[in-house]
This record gives sequence, structure tokens and C-alpha cells, in this order.
Amino acid sequence: MQDQDLKTSVKGQILSVTDLPTLPSVLDKVSKLVDDPNSSTEQVAKVIAHDQVLSAKVLKMVNSPIYGFPGRITTIQHALVLLGLNVIKGIIISTSVFDIIQQAMSGLWEHSIGCALASGAVAKAAGFEDPEEFTVAGLLHDLGKVVTAVQLPELNAAIQQTVETKQVSYYDAERIVLGFGHDRINAWLARHWNLPPNVREAMTYHHHPDRAQFYQQTAAVVHIGNFLVRIFEYGNGGDDQTAYFKPAAMKVLKLKMKNLEPVMDELSEQLMEISGFTF
Amino acid sequence: MDTKHAHGLQNLKGQRAFLVSPDASLREMLQSIWPEEVIKFTCFEYGRGAIEFLLTSPPDLLIVDNRVVDIKASEMAKLVKSENVYRQLPVIICLDETDLEKPWDWDAIEVDDFLLRPFFLPVVRDRVNLAMCRALRALDANPLSKLPGNTSIIQRIQSLIDRREDFALAYCDLDYFKSFNDKYGFSRGDEVLMMTARIIVNTIRSFAGEKTFVGHVGGDDFVFITPPDIVEEACKRIVFSFDGIVPNFYDPADRKCKCIVSTDRQGNIQNFPLMAISIAVVFNIDGKLKHFGEASAIAMGLKKKAKENPKSNYVLDRRTP
Repeated sequence: MQDQDLKTSVKGQILSVTDLPTLPSVLDKVSKLVDDPNSSTEQVAKVIAHDQVLSAKVLKMVNSPIYGFPGRITTIQHALVLLGLNVIKGIIISTSVFDIIQQAMSGLWEHSIGCALASGAVAKAAGFEDPEEFTVAGLLHDLGKVVTAVQLPELNAAIQQTVETKQVSYYDAERIVLGFGHDRINAWLARHWNLPPNVREAMTYHHHPDRAQFYQQTAAVVHIGNFLVRIFEYGNGGDDQTAYFKPAAMKVLKLKMKNLEPVMDELSEQLMEISGFTF
Repeated sequence: MDTKHAHGLQNLKGQRAFLVSPDASLREMLQSIWPEEVIKFTCFEYGRGAIEFLLTSPPDLLIVDNRVVDIKASEMAKLVKSENVYRQLPVIICLDETDLEKPWDWDAIEVDDFLLRPFFLPVVRDRVNLAMCRALRALDANPLSKLPGNTSIIQRIQSLIDRREDFALAYCDLDYFKSFNDKYGFSRGDEVLMMTARIIVNTIRSFAGEKTFVGHVGGDDFVFITPPDIVEEACKRIVFSFDGIVPNFYDPADRKCKCIVSTDRQGNIQNFPLMAISIAVVFNIDGKLKHFGEASAIAMGLKKKAKENPKSNYVLDRRTP
């Protein structure tokens, strides 16, 4: 019973989230671009697509019922065309920067963007046409962790404590402390924000792609992307455990292990490139 | 100061207004503000006489004074606003300060605004102007996209023609919209129209500092106006964005095979490609066009040409010098 109560109260707090931290460097870049009448939506989209929080906000906005097509838009580029730069300006003004959280978050930030790139590369290897959709799903796969850090700082501290003392993964620690993981939080957020079903399922089932109902492929791509970026030890998902890997994900995508070799080569290059993007 | 335009309603002509009031000074003030060709006032001292005219030949504006003795001003307002055919008619009520000792139930008395004694000419003028413009906007906006509709579109084009300004006028519509609507239902059709409206508006607005206009004729027909030199770039961007976004509005299976199975106008089952956008562009350069009708006639001809191509595309009126 108590378990149920914690779930209900945590869910309420999570969904009431209004302010998520964004990295100041990203926010600066986007603000400058948006204020310059000569910059294109492609340029703005590229920078926003590097930040999970701004991306989530933009997708939440464009998929809200206000605009009349909830749950339809998956990519940042399309979202920008449909929202227009005016709305983007509004989103930027309403986005705050939390200096304290910044330190703790920067590892997660790198992990997320790494997973975005990895998911894009895996999607390409599996022969999907629109890798950008998979990139967005990869970028947002750990958003629940950011929200927990902002909305439930005490529980978040307890989770981190558990990771250290019990030497478990962040995901297991969440389940010890909260009774559920960030994948559940992702599911709440994605539904609450009307995110498109493929992004929603990838956010919800990236730990268990075989449980996804309609978009197993997207969930499988992000599962493998998440695994790869951990192998490269790029960024930090909240613990230093070796990620587990579900062979079922490879089956869903009809990929063999050897298909991942070129993906890893491409990824290592891309990660080198973006490491310059960090502060 | 330009006295000709001092009344503030440059774009309106031939408006008829009824004033129902025993107050002669109010009548004189109103008649002094607008020239007769802009707003012509018909004045009544009593309510009874006015009502007959109100119902048989409704004006474009009704101003009714709470000092009218034979019928309550609120009753007259109610009479007009409870009939759906007169509902859009803007009604302004004139009050004395004592009338406002208790709050009014504006929910029951659905007037659009009130004027308070002592009347101050600039306030009277602008309140009336605002009420007229607001009524026009509300009436003309497309209920789905909230973009300006036919009246505003025609007015905008004609006023550009009259001022001999160079402009490009683009007519956009969607190919295979009907079969999409038939298969998925009108609410998903509306989603596509909302999406199209936003692509056009945001693309046109992204040309910062240019004089532009976007209107929604109705259904899947849209119109936009830009300076002649940027229209081609605008068309390219709209086509690019539309083609990129529209697959998101199909079910995964249809999206994958890039077509839908639906019935055509003759009732035959047929394969239809994904929706595309066709744009026909007419130019007005050096005062070539004299009337709005010419522009739309040329555009309709071009549209046929644009429609021959099942893919998204645009056609420019090459007859332009």
C-alpha cells in the first residue's frame, strides 16, 4: 500500500515539472541564433538537437493539442518549422539554467547526446530511412533522470547513495529507492506531453525493447545505442556499471554482431568530434 | 495632420449604423466624426421605431442609449444578439455613471462595448472603430486555422492593386487531400490543414522585415502574399517542409508504402499517393493588374498546370514582364 502511495505522490510531483535545467552553453548558442535574422531553422535545430531538455520542451510544445496535431511530430527540424522562431524564443526565455545541477548533469548530458548519435548510427545500420527520429528517441531516453534530480532532489540523493554503497546500477538503485525506474517516469512524461508514440515507446522500453507494443524497433535501436555509448565510456548515466545487453534487441533489428563494427567505427569518430562541443 | 483619415477607418466604406438615443448632442458628435461615405448614421429617438428597421434591414453597427424611455436598451441588445442572423452585429450601449452603480450581467446582455457619459470624442471614435474592426476580424477568421478569410484576402489584394504596389500572390492547395479525409476522417484531415497553415505562416514570417500576408480561403486552399523577389524561395521552402512533415500524418503501414487505398470521386477503389502541395504564383508588377478578379483568374489557370504534377511543386506566372 505504501508503495502505491509513493508512486502516486511521485507521479504528481514529476508531472508538475515546469522547469528543467539546460546547459548554459547550449542556451547561449540558441539565443544568439534565434536573435540573428539571418540564421536558418536548420542551424537552430542542430543546436537544440544537442540538448535533451530543450528538445523535450520543443517536442512537448509542438505535440500539444494547442496546435491541432498532437503526437505527430518526431523531429526537431520539423518542430521548428511548425512552431516558428517566435515560439522558440518563448521557450528559450522560459528555460532556466541551474548552476548547481549543472555539474551533476553534465555527465548525463554527454551520455544522452552520445546515445543520440549512437542510436542514429544503429538506425542507419539497420536500414531505417529517417535516422533523425531515432536520434531524438536516444537523446530523450534518460530524461526521467533529469526530472527526478529537479523535482525530487532528496530521493535523487538517496538513489545516488544506493549506487555507491550497494554498487548497483542507477536503474536498480531507482527501483530500490522508488520502487520503479526512470523508464516509468519517461512513460508518464511522454504521455503527459503527447510525444509521438515511437519516441514514447523508446523512452519507456529502452531497457526492455521486447516489451514495446508497437515500436519495438525504435526501442531496440535506443537499447543498443545506450549500450554502445557506455562501452565508449562517453558521459555518465549515473553509475559506472557495465550496461547489460539484450540479444533480443539485435533480433528485432535483424542485425548480427558484425554489423555493429562499422557502427562503432563511425561512432568513435563522431564522439571525438562532439567532445569539442562540450565546454 | 491628414484630416481625411482622422476618423481612423481607412479600410471601411459604406457602413450603416443605427443610433437609438434621445440625446441630440450624442447624435451630432457621432455624425461629426465619420464622413457619411464611411459610416452613415440613421437616428431614432425611440426604440419601437428602430426595431422594425433593425429586423428588416439590419445595419453594420448599433449604438443604443440606456436613456431611451420606451424600451430598455438591454432588451434591444438582447433582441439582436439572441437571433443568430444578427448575432455578429456589433452593439454598443451608452451609459450614465449611475447606471453602473451595480455590476451588469454582461453574460445576459451580450453587447460588445459600452460608452460612458460625459462622452469624450476621441474615446467614442476609437471605441466604435475598435468594435467595427473586431467584428470584421471575428467574422472573417477561418474557424480552424484562425487565419484571415476571404473578405480580408480580397480587401488586402485590392488595396495593394489600388496602391500600385508590386507583389506576388500565391495560391496553395493540397493534392489528394480528399482521399486522405475520406480514409482517415475529417478530424485527421483538420490536423493536416492546421499543419499546412503553420508551415505557410512560419515560412513566410521567416523572411524578417518583409511585408507579407497569409490567408485561408477555406478547406485546403490557402493564399499568401510576398514581395516578388522572395516568392520563389518561399515556395521552395514550403514544398520542402510539407513533403518532409506530411508522412507523419499517415498510419505507419500507409507511410511505408507511400500510398493509401481509398475510393475516388466515381466510387472506385484506387491507390492514392501521399498528399502534395501545389502552389500557383501570380505577379503584379508596375500596376499590371487592375482588379482582384484578374489575379484569381490567372491563378486558377496556373493551378491546373501545377496540379498536373502529382508531386509537390510551384508554378510562376511567366507572362510577367
